[in-house]
Amino acid sequence: GHGGGSRGREAYAKFSGAPLTVNTINNSWSTPKADVPVLISEDTVISQPAKILNFLRKQRYNADYELSAKQGADTLAYIALLEEKLLPALLHTFWVEAENYCSVTKPWFASRIPFPLSLYLPGKMSREALNRILLTRGGPPLYSLTEVEAQIYRDAKECLNLLSKRLGTSQFFFGNTPTTLDAFVFGFLAPVYKVCFPRVQLQEHLKQLTNLCRFCDDILTCYFKLTITDG
Amino acid sequence: MSLSLTPRSTRSRQQVPALELHSAEPWPENAALYQQLKEDQILLSDNAASLAVQAFLQMCNLPVRVVCRANAEYMSPSGKVPFIHVGNQVVSELGPIVQFVKAKGHSLSDGLDEVQKAEMKAYMELVNNMLLTAELYLQWCDDVTVEEITHPRYGSPYPWPLNRILSYQKQWEIRRKMKAIGWAGKSLEQVLEDVDQCCQALSQRLGTQPYFFNKQPTELDALVFGHLFTILTTQLITDELSEKVKNYGNLTAFCRRIEQQYFEGHDKDGSAAASARSAKRSLLR
Repeated sequence: GHGGGSRGREAYAKFSGAPLTVNTINNSWSTPKADVPVLISEDTVISQPAKILNFLRKQRYNADYELSAKQGADTLAYIALLEEKLLPALLHTFWVEAENYCSVTKPWFASRIPFPLSLYLPGKMSREALNRILLTRGGPPLYSLTEVEAQIYRDAKECLNLLSKRLGTSQFFFGNTPTTLDAFVFGFLAPVYKVCFPRVQLQEHLKQLTNLCRFCDDILTCYFKLTITDG
Repeated sequence: MSLSLTPRSTRSRQQVPALELHSAEPWPENAALYQQLKEDQILLSDNAASLAVQAFLQMCNLPVRVVCRANAEYMSPSGKVPFIHVGNQVVSELGPIVQFVKAKGHSLSDGLDEVQKAEMKAYMELVNNMLLTAELYLQWCDDVTVEEITHPRYGSPYPWPLNRILSYQKQWEIRRKMKAIGWAGKSLEQVLEDVDQCCQALSQRLGTQPYFFNKQPTELDALVFGHLFTILTTQLITDELSEKVKNYGNLTAFCRRIEQQYFEGHDKDGSAAASARSAKRSLLR
């Protein structure tokens, strides 16, 4: 379903052959911070997938054991790049851009969490997303939200370009078998690629990078039998 | 590197338009880099940033003198240090400074291919994402460090109560940001783990090469040097942070190499090396 975090984790688990059951969110009452595995909650996008991936690795379901030390280091670096340069625009596309949020994200999200969380959680996540964007990317010399938005989309497009150059004509980022990095990149790209938003500047840019689209399609058809209709 | 005036038509299109007007001017002799007071005021993260820019300019063979001002942060166009004053342009932070210098015809990464450039940018984000954030966490979220080092230093040029007000204001600002990115809930041990993971990645990437892209340093080398050297030579409450870096021999050798190559023998004119090493222990024993 929606959410780079869960998609990324699913992808990793499928790559490494670990049996995986995706449990839908049903315990949000107990967590004061609404710890749901969707793209927004930063601690479940970045640190939770990392924690879960570490766990899977320790259990010896390991998609990376053939990677060299340098490739392992590259993985960490590219994940940092995604988090710094792509994530803000992603958050914006899903949770801050008004048309997108109101017509796609909020209804989808609200329909999948229990009442009465559905009444306030989407709004909270939207505010948190905006907060995160402004705190990490706002500030002088960018003084208005429009300027910040312009900058984060510029950065996101440059990040997509860099990923495309790095992938080149390979099937996956480190050769012919998928690894953690592929799972992370897929987790970030798939929602952008497949979700039908009214405002789609990032998706349009991504569609010009044919090797990244091919990358997503390959993973979707090989590892995910379901087709994504709403993301 | 020699100064060269590149014709406008061959310059990259990524430049900020305003810079085009001044790009044709050669690098002046009186270029200045501004940071906070090095003895008493500057903090670990700002010192790392400043050193990174100094190293980068040294690698480009562009002379700059370091000027210490208590209000450097407020003078900066982006609120962050360091910033450079070149001709009548003021540019802050490593990223924009690299772009600015490139507009003047100097670049350390021109020789890299597209994949290498992508890699370089990714590793620079790794340093910002993990190392810089860890430094900020230690400075502003670790209560002992905040009380004993940060608060006394940050507001030191100002009289009471301004010193405490400025310091608390900054702390609040940084803690808000940490909360937004999910670092507020981390413990010090977890942060040090992250530092270790980052150093391990840098060490693995560097391997046995002299620089990250083999023979020639790039802005990545400058950035990594700025942070690692500062961590290694700054006295904190404990040595835990510098120990994480010391675990990787090739990283300390890397810092020593850059210190020797780019910062030795400049002491007499009081520029980069003097500020890099003042109040800090040199790596050379």
